[in-house]
Amino acid sequence: MVATALERLATWRSRGTRASEQTVKHGLTVLEDGGLKKLGDEAWNFLEQLTLASLDIGRLDIADECLEQLTEGFPGSPRVECLKGLRIEADNKPIEAIRFYEAALQEDDTNAALWKRKIAVLRSLGSQNVSQAVEELTIYLDTFYTDVEAWIELADVYAELNLYSLSLQALSHVLILASQNPFYVLRFAETAYTAGDIPLAHKMFLRVIDMDEPEGSKSNATKRAWWGVKLTAGRLLSSPNTPSESKTQPPSSDHLRLLDELATERLAESYRSTSVTPQGQGRDVILAWLGGRKR
Amino acid sequence: MSSAGASLYLDPQIRDWVLFPITLVMILVGILRHYVTILLNSTPKKATRAAIREQRALLRAQILRASAAKSPLPPSYYKAISSSLWNAFTNGTYLKDGPPKEGAEPVSTPANPFSNPDQMDGMMDGMKKQMVMMVPQMVIMGWINFFFQGFVAIKLPFPLTLGFKSMLQRGVETQDMDVRWVSSLSWYFLNFFGLNGVYRLILGNDNAADSSKDVANSSPFAATGQQGAMQAQDYNKLYKAEKDNLELSEGLYTWAAQDVELRVLRRYGKIPAEAANKR
Repeated sequence: MVATALERLATWRSRGTRASEQTVKHGLTVLEDGGLKKLGDEAWNFLEQLTLASLDIGRLDIADECLEQLTEGFPGSPRVECLKGLRIEADNKPIEAIRFYEAALQEDDTNAALWKRKIAVLRSLGSQNVSQAVEELTIYLDTFYTDVEAWIELADVYAELNLYSLSLQALSHVLILASQNPFYVLRFAETAYTAGDIPLAHKMFLRVIDMDEPEGSKSNATKRAWWGVKLTAGRLLSSPNTPSESKTQPPSSDHLRLLDELATERLAESYRSTSVTPQGQGRDVILAWLGGRKR
Repeated sequence: MSSAGASLYLDPQIRDWVLFPITLVMILVGILRHYVTILLNSTPKKATRAAIREQRALLRAQILRASAAKSPLPPSYYKAISSSLWNAFTNGTYLKDGPPKEGAEPVSTPANPFSNPDQMDGMMDGMKKQMVMMVPQMVIMGWINFFFQGFVAIKLPFPLTLGFKSMLQRGVETQDMDVRWVSSLSWYFLNFFGLNGVYRLILGNDNAADSSKDVANSSPFAATGQQGAMQAQDYNKLYKAEKDNLELSEGLYTWAAQDVELRVLRRYGKIPAEAANKR
């Protein structure tokens, strides 16, 4: 019983799975059976995992217990400091949490985890603090350039503020850092679409499709990208001289027509097979729309 | 030969009072110095935010350059990042101590490592560790030389050629003795190089007890000197070199999505595939 629980917890830990309720459930069985001693050095990792999970689902009593042990084991460790900050956040005292993080950062201003937590709290505080969050985040990224998640966060903040071109710039860094991930490309394309740069969006949607497996495009990103291709191709065909901020050349109108046709085909096919979407009215609407748009 | 071997008789007392003590003392000293080294290990100095930024600025340019040949970025975005990095390198924005002042004399030689307290700490640390390595070995060797000079400590159970004589009979200058006899000083050297496996068994893989390692870098400055050179890197110069690389990559740049519509259309058979071969 304990062995299986521990095994599962270890895999979640290594993969970073956020199965908080399950984690707490398994964690409690381990604690009750006194498995902590058997774990040896692994016990600390386990306690950290359990603390995070119990904070996640609001079992503050468990979190406090774990934190106590961790503080005893590692007084003054930055990793435990970060957990303590999260504990303050869980009490819904963001101002205090920020103050705590600032004090900890004063000690060591290179601790990325604490810095990111501070930025996250700043952002959560609402619109009047967003500018400060953005400022901190840009300084953070200037130091720790390779943090993809932080770049995405920055793009997200900018998009929230309707600053789409800035969001695109942040996403462009994401693309260099993680160029194999089609979801990021899709996000770039969608942001470009929202920003009104239709030719760029069109190219990027096509790029998502290009990145997928040659046969059997099953990824959801690809389906979304086909939708994007369909919409952008339609826009580009109806108004060929759409301005592009990035001066991207759209494909020739012959190719656009073919692409529009192809996108319609692909989408219709993916919605026609019932295995992909359950039977429903939405499907008929989509097929009708696709059919209506067909030239 | 065999008669000479038989005529030599080794007192069991030598085994109990010379052979075992040498081995035991060496093992114990090894374990001791492992723990002393752990005690002496000072926590590595934390780099400041500015220093990290300085180091990682180069990485940014490298990442950008690595993707240049088939960049996921549209041209305008690539150019924007590339030129902003170029400007930053020109102006020295990422330098730890801020951009260099106008007309200031460029520092050509790396600063004297002794003048920088950070590096001084590192040197002292290395020296301390070296001392822990050297002192016990000197003491043990002195002890063996003083008490057991010229002792024959052990007879190997297998025959060896004459070439091993200087290795196994250090300190016993006899011409005719069988090579199988090992002198006390040689026994010390055998232990010196051979006990690593025992330490690994007792202390685990990553131990500081092995003494033969410091033969390789016997000078206290050898290790720290390299480290000092690493720290004293002139980032301004590296940035200048990186600027050229950035320009070069800008020439190599192509957008991965340049002909993407053709690729997609070809894949689904909308336009003939032969066009692909022609290109």
